[in-house]
Amino acid sequence: MNRLDDELREALRREEPPEGFAERVLARAAAEPDRQGWWAWLSALFRMPRVRWVAVTAALFLAVLSGLEYQRQQRLLAEGERAKEQVLLALRITANELQQVHHKVQGLNLSR
Amino acid sequence: MSQPAVAEAVAGGVRCLDFEEIMRRNQAMVYSIAYHFVYDRALAEELAQDVFLQLYRSLDKLDSAEHAAHWLRRVTGHRCIDFVRKRRVEKPVDLDAAPEPAAEPRESDPLLRDRLRRLVASLPEKKRLLIILRYQEEMEPEEIARTLRMPARTVRTQLHRTLALLRDKAGRFLGEGTP
Repeated sequence: MNRLDDELREALRREEPPEGFAERVLARAAAEPDRQGWWAWLSALFRMPRVRWVAVTAALFLAVLSGLEYQRQQRLLAEGERAKEQVLLALRITANELQQVHHKVQGLNLSR
Repeated sequence: MSQPAVAEAVAGGVRCLDFEEIMRRNQAMVYSIAYHFVYDRALAEELAQDVFLQLYRSLDKLDSAEHAAHWLRRVTGHRCIDFVRKRRVEKPVDLDAAPEPAAEPRESDPLLRDRLRRLVASLPEKKRLLIILRYQEEMEPEEIARTLRMPARTVRTQLHRTLALLRDKAGRFLGEGTP
């Protein structure tokens, strides 16, 4: 180990800060506005592995449920559309038949 | 609680880092890095206080006391570099103005230490930080590389070159011949 290394270690040795440094830092920290609040509490909560797993599982479960519910709604909509089409078809058939009856009745009246 | 203790334990056993404990444990390290960087005690205290306030705000992101110490080294170094660049505070080496050390420098010569500190404080910022971490903190180049997020090879090369520069400038009063 050469002289420069030794002298650098000596010159750059750690020194204690001036008297009262810690107290001054603590005083400044105490004067800080409270930034902890609910967000820090939430962040700290989510740092816990178990909570993270529960949250992920719950989120996945909700996503699956939402997907299933969406599919159910789509099915109901489709069934509704089909029912509507059937009603309209029935109405059209009835209208045709009524028209035919109407023509027949008219024909009978003309022939009298 | 009268003293700021941050990150109160959440139900479930999250380990709580005590700000005051971490601050007292690391205050010499942080202050010394700043002091050796700017070679001014008032500025060093200002920088060190700012670093600990930043720690206070960020404590919930740290996992352990070791993580906090690692974080402090890195943040102190970066703060010092930013400070010097912003304020353009440079400590030019003026070996003629500083008192000469003894003709045959003895070990632990305070004038010699003063000269070396001035020399270090006059280095380019990144190189300055590398030397401080190497000799104040006695960190290996790989540790320095991890702390500063630099390639280890770059750290080794820069240390080597900086030491050669220091040896060249300090050789006269260290009583060493230039290589």
